[in-house]
Amino acid sequence: MAKGGKAKKKRVPMREQDVKVRIHNFRSVPLGYSEEEVIKEAERCLQCKNPKCELNCPVNLKIRDTLQSIIERDFEKAFFVAKEDNPIPAITGRVCPQEDQCEGACVVGKVGDAINIGKLIAFVADWAREKGIEEEVKIYERPEKVAVIGSGPAGICCANDLRKAGFQVIIFEALHLPGGVLTYGIPAFRLPKDVVNYELDFIQKMGVKIQLNTIVGQNVSFGELQKEFDAIFIGTGAGAPIFMGIEGEKLMGVYSANEFLIRVNLMRAYEFPEWDTPIVCGERVGVIGAGNVAMDSARSALRLGAKEVHILYRRTKQYSPARAEELTHALEEGIIFHELVNPVRILGDDKGWVKGIELVRMELGEPDASGRPRPQPIKGSEFTMELDTVIEALGTRPNRLFLSRAEGLDIYPWGGIKADENMMTNIEGVFVGGDAVSGAATVIRALGDGRKAAQAIYNYLSTKH
Amino acid sequence: MEHQITRKLDLCKDDYLLEVIAPKVAERFRPGNFVILITVPNGERIPMSVQKAEKGKIAMFIKRLGKTSYELDSFKVGDSLVAVIGPLGNPPPMKKYGNIIFASDLVCGHAENYAFCQGLKSIGGNYVISLQTFPTKSEVYPEEFRPVHLCDEYYLTTLDGTEGAKGHYIEVLKSLLEEKKIDIIFAGGDIPNLQKLAELTRSYQIPTIVTVRQIMVDGTGMCGSCRVFVDGEMKLTCIDGPMFDAHRLNFQDIINRLSMFKQREEQALKEYLRKKGEV
Repeated sequence: MAKGGKAKKKRVPMREQDVKVRIHNFRSVPLGYSEEEVIKEAERCLQCKNPKCELNCPVNLKIRDTLQSIIERDFEKAFFVAKEDNPIPAITGRVCPQEDQCEGACVVGKVGDAINIGKLIAFVADWAREKGIEEEVKIYERPEKVAVIGSGPAGICCANDLRKAGFQVIIFEALHLPGGVLTYGIPAFRLPKDVVNYELDFIQKMGVKIQLNTIVGQNVSFGELQKEFDAIFIGTGAGAPIFMGIEGEKLMGVYSANEFLIRVNLMRAYEFPEWDTPIVCGERVGVIGAGNVAMDSARSALRLGAKEVHILYRRTKQYSPARAEELTHALEEGIIFHELVNPVRILGDDKGWVKGIELVRMELGEPDASGRPRPQPIKGSEFTMELDTVIEALGTRPNRLFLSRAEGLDIYPWGGIKADENMMTNIEGVFVGGDAVSGAATVIRALGDGRKAAQAIYNYLSTKH
Repeated sequence: MEHQITRKLDLCKDDYLLEVIAPKVAERFRPGNFVILITVPNGERIPMSVQKAEKGKIAMFIKRLGKTSYELDSFKVGDSLVAVIGPLGNPPPMKKYGNIIFASDLVCGHAENYAFCQGLKSIGGNYVISLQTFPTKSEVYPEEFRPVHLCDEYYLTTLDGTEGAKGHYIEVLKSLLEEKKIDIIFAGGDIPNLQKLAELTRSYQIPTIVTVRQIMVDGTGMCGSCRVFVDGEMKLTCIDGPMFDAHRLNFQDIINRLSMFKQREEQALKEYLRKKGEV
């Protein structure tokens, strides 16, 4: 319990890069707590008997005990407790939607600010990384080979657990760098790349092999993997962009958020021409959508030199699916948020470049399947906005390249792979998890799936032989 | 060693041949596939057509055009690329088509022409006619790199008439279409010329499949940069193509989008040449 018997209502503020400075670089916005600050923040925790934060965490991370160790100034212990249920705390601490999960359930949050759990978890992981403290892993080798398709959060977590159980694990990654969405999707100002690379290095040090530039279904067949491996985990994610299908998407200056972010994150286009891949970002940028990917795109555009960046959203701010921190940061940085507007068509000039967008005003109707009010267009309210770049951040779906070549695999019409309660697909020995099952979701859910599938693969291979 | 250059030579003033060790790519390559190269650690991912894939090696025809192709030209036999990724794309089947024409007028198309002649002739019942256009005699590739002996009929044209027939392959094609029953036409190279070809063959109602060049980033269906429109429907060059039905393709959109990064590309090349001059 916090000193003095009463929880302090206010959070220890997180130091951040100044807005004027950070909009010109891709470095991390939060600067992290100091040791004193982290203890002060952890001391606000009530150490509940039945911690609601843990119940509300998709992987039931031992948050209370981690925070207790922080209060005791035993950061090393805190790190190992955090690691028990989460192989990548430095990452989830930064990218989880905590306000909907642990922090959303925090009892202190009912009377003041919820404990800043995400930042505390990230702190202990960062502390251990900087001190070079890592798990000592004793591996009792087993002969069974497991293929993991995709090196994103689901694949990393599954490979981590399988390797610790002694299996011979090879991850197949389509791109030339591992990490999946952590590498190509989430910008460095939100998730520094050294944090991601550290986790990837760690699993490789344990003996997990990552085979890059290998597109399963394209340059190695799914059938070959089935023959060669005792089990397969599919963690192919949801990496294909969804376009609105409106007029003008062929225009130059129109990007899927995926393309925009892949150019920025994977290909480092913000360092062009030192890095070869270019990007063209105009002065007036419109981003369609208001989720995390939309915020990442908008804030990247700003850092590439855009003068005005407009978020175009068909609902109101309160229904934005973005993390609270991302929305706050975006607004602080001067991103202009337009509520209740929906694109009708993208307008082009005679050379084939974007010159604007036609929008229609929306109003909120009855709740839809998501529980949020359904936005409906207001007839006759169309208007245009001048823009020179349009980024469509409408979400992603599983990549049909793999699905079309994964013979015999049961999938839903929208492209998700069907799985039973043990994450096994209709094909024996082939398991799946993460966005490939759920459609675009969160890192922590992918991680939970990866872990669950690893356990199921362990059981499967242990009973099979 | 994987991705090591085993052969490199000039095909003409601007084009060169590059052969690299890439056993996994070579084993699976089929005509119509393409590869993505990464030449240096800070490099871009560039799609490339393949002329030949055998004995664990692939050969490509490359034009000195932008920064990457200039830089790659400074590589020597024994040097290695960072990555050779592929084979990529969804090529048409190698099967019996009957009387086939493959026409090309640019570096990538010439590579495909060679690969298709070789592939199509390995299947019984195909009569393969190859058409190639070069600007002038001095830019005609050495015979070894043209499908002269792989096909049943071979026609060479130069735009100025210094070797072979004068003009573009389209002229030869016109007379061939009058003389012979052609079952299918494949073509690769300059996009505006492919559009002209499509207009010509549409009136003859001959199926025409062309290779599309479009700007790609990942080449695996993730970014949508290479989108093209087939009868108004969005398709991706990287995973649906790179070969499409020319009669259903919107060429103007392809031509437009190809110029999206032109300014940046020129800047990168200028910067590279300036730096190289300083060293």
